[in-house]
Amino acid sequence: MQEPDTLDVHKTSMSIASVITNHLGGTLLTVNADTNEIESNLAESYQVSEDGKTITLKIRQGVTLSDGTPLTAKVYKDTFDRILNPETGATVAASLIGGIQETSAPDEQTFIIELAAPSAPLLRNLTSRGYLQPLSMAAIEKHGADYGRNPVGAGPFIFKEWVTGQSITLERNDDYNWPHASAKNQGKAYPDQIVYKFIQDQQTMLAALDSGSIDVAMEVPPKDVQRYRDNPDYYVIEAERQGLGLFLEMNLENETLSDLNVRKAINMAINKDAIIKAVINGEGTPAYGPIPSAVFGYDPNVESYGHKLNKDEAISLLEQSGYTKNSNGIMEKDGSELTFELSIMTQHNQAAQMVQAMLKDVGIDVNIQSLEAGTLIEKVSQGEFQLSFLAYSYIDPDILYLLFHSSQIGGLNHVRAQNSELDGLLEKGRTTIDPEERKQVYAQVQEIVVENAYWAPIYAEKVFFVVNKRVQDVKLMNVNLDYQDSWVKQ
Amino acid sequence: MKHFIINRVLSGILVIFGISVFSFLLIHFIPGDPVKIMLGINASPEQVEKLNHHLGLDKPLLVQYWQYITNAFQGDFGTSLKTGRPVLIEILDRFPETVKLAIFGLFVAVVIGVSLGIVAAKFKDSFIDKMCTAFATLGISIPSFWLGILLVLVFSVKLAWFPIANGTGFRDLILPAFTLGVVASTMIMRLTRNGMVEVLSNDYIRTARAKGLDDGLILFRHALRNVLIPVVTVIGLQLAALLGGTVIIEQVFNWPGLGTLAIGAIMSRDFPLIQGIVLFMGVMYVTINILVDVLYSIIDPRVEMGTKEA
Repeated sequence: MQEPDTLDVHKTSMSIASVITNHLGGTLLTVNADTNEIESNLAESYQVSEDGKTITLKIRQGVTLSDGTPLTAKVYKDTFDRILNPETGATVAASLIGGIQETSAPDEQTFIIELAAPSAPLLRNLTSRGYLQPLSMAAIEKHGADYGRNPVGAGPFIFKEWVTGQSITLERNDDYNWPHASAKNQGKAYPDQIVYKFIQDQQTMLAALDSGSIDVAMEVPPKDVQRYRDNPDYYVIEAERQGLGLFLEMNLENETLSDLNVRKAINMAINKDAIIKAVINGEGTPAYGPIPSAVFGYDPNVESYGHKLNKDEAISLLEQSGYTKNSNGIMEKDGSELTFELSIMTQHNQAAQMVQAMLKDVGIDVNIQSLEAGTLIEKVSQGEFQLSFLAYSYIDPDILYLLFHSSQIGGLNHVRAQNSELDGLLEKGRTTIDPEERKQVYAQVQEIVVENAYWAPIYAEKVFFVVNKRVQDVKLMNVNLDYQDSWVKQ
Repeated sequence: MKHFIINRVLSGILVIFGISVFSFLLIHFIPGDPVKIMLGINASPEQVEKLNHHLGLDKPLLVQYWQYITNAFQGDFGTSLKTGRPVLIEILDRFPETVKLAIFGLFVAVVIGVSLGIVAAKFKDSFIDKMCTAFATLGISIPSFWLGILLVLVFSVKLAWFPIANGTGFRDLILPAFTLGVVASTMIMRLTRNGMVEVLSNDYIRTARAKGLDDGLILFRHALRNVLIPVVTVIGLQLAALLGGTVIIEQVFNWPGLGTLAIGAIMSRDFPLIQGIVLFMGVMYVTINILVDVLYSIIDPRVEMGTKEA
């Protein structure tokens, strides 16, 4: 894993910082691992008003931060105020609570959030790890600029030491007795300490795992997973990543790609299973819509109406649009061949070559253009591309607003979709609080995105953790590891 | 002597000036808008403008360079974009670990290089000499990262003798230092061997032999001391090369030195940090080279003469 930038959760934008700080703090709400529904946690109950603009949370009593500050509604209010204060420079934390107008703490236990408009993603954001944990203003004041290396929180572990370039050590919080409801162990955690070691190179990380220098390896590459499954000394924990590991974007402003038949034909020419097998060793799921099953709002029907591999149909769609195969085997219309440029970053090279061959089979010629990541992202966001590969991860279907709403052209709406029906649904999805109703909205969104074939979705990835059997009962929570019930065999 | 030192220092300053210009321009070589690339896809125009201002990129180039260089002279290399900590502190946190690794690697190189060199010279043209030459050829041709990975595989994974990514103690130091040392030892070995062979054919050695002196005494007291002068210079130069050459080894062994810091900085597009490391390493390299030159001229006065004539 990488070394985090800081453990000040308001200032970091690195996911590893949220993984580590999650042991140091807690979340107001949590997600049930089995049902994917929202449950209470540090807030023992929560209530959303009729108009959806006010959220009232009752803060759990008897919780103390590691510097002795008791957890009250005021602590939460100060924490949220700090995030919303532009001087803090909060990035991820601020985006997670975007839309909050103000918060108040009328008494010790009641924490009230006022919103400008109802926000469905907010409740789920309140479950995200690390970033929104309650902080001690006294500790922040005491340590000043060094707070990021001396964090304080209300979690099962307490920050002990950060050795630059090497490791971060957390030790058990012996006063802790407020774990999430689904943990078997409702008291303090079993492990005495957790040491996070920064190992940049994945193969070095696996060598460290093999040699016993570390017990848990995070983000293990799919190609290495099988040998640990076959090894009785280890166990593999896997989760579906929230997001898509690979999809093909098509620029709608390109004249050829503005033809729906062409976009559908591209969808039908791609063999997702073959790509999964070659690129991620078969450790993934084919994607038919813009969100994977691990994200709330996923509509399983997408598997039946989504575009499937069908070369004949792809060819006939192209023929319907007036293309005919020329002597080179390439589709041609009015004397010009059907040729695209596929812009990628080097890591997607293998998948790009496969797609190139697959499209060639139906008479579409593809040139691969490999670019440096920063340059690629700048180009695609400005619409200077034809086809491009991308991946994303996000916990809420609201990501689709960023990817397809017409206001996001120039940003993440790389395909430059301008569909007023879709815009309306994406806006509705943001403000619909009722989970069932919200699911309906996103079911429609998925259908429109698939019908219009803005993308060719390819696969959803898995995340793999490999654990030495010495360490027992490591569990998965919200795509991350939880050590509340874990213990070490001596 | 004085003239020689002044000369070396002046040319050193010139090189450092070149490095400073290069590391300063680094940020301007990047295609596209570097600030946008640093901030990623979701950056708002305000954020871009703020960072542009923070980095001083909205000012004319010459003004920027002047500010960069005057700040650097006061020890201010800017702040790391990633951690928000001063670049100099980030560098000084890691530098001792790199020095530790380089010095220990050099120690291994000298021990292997000098002893094999003596053995090879003693048994000149024999099987042992050929084996030593083969070792030197191998050592110089093996990529150091490959040797490192091999050692990790054998001694850490299979035999579990040495830990990986476990800290920077003595046991953690052995494998990376050995990897560095083997590669660096080859030059020292060749130099020692050739020097010894030459010296051993001299008249005074024959005289010593004729006197009936012990072989070991001849080898170490009479021959080796004369061979060591060029070897010492190479050792000095190797130290400078080792300090810069640990980048790959540090990555393989996850050693928390300047090399891993540099790679991390490149990965996270932390330009102030990259600039700082390039400048810092450049200054280190030049300084060590000057020191070696000066030392050499003290040990062997002929060096100074040579420069004057040139």
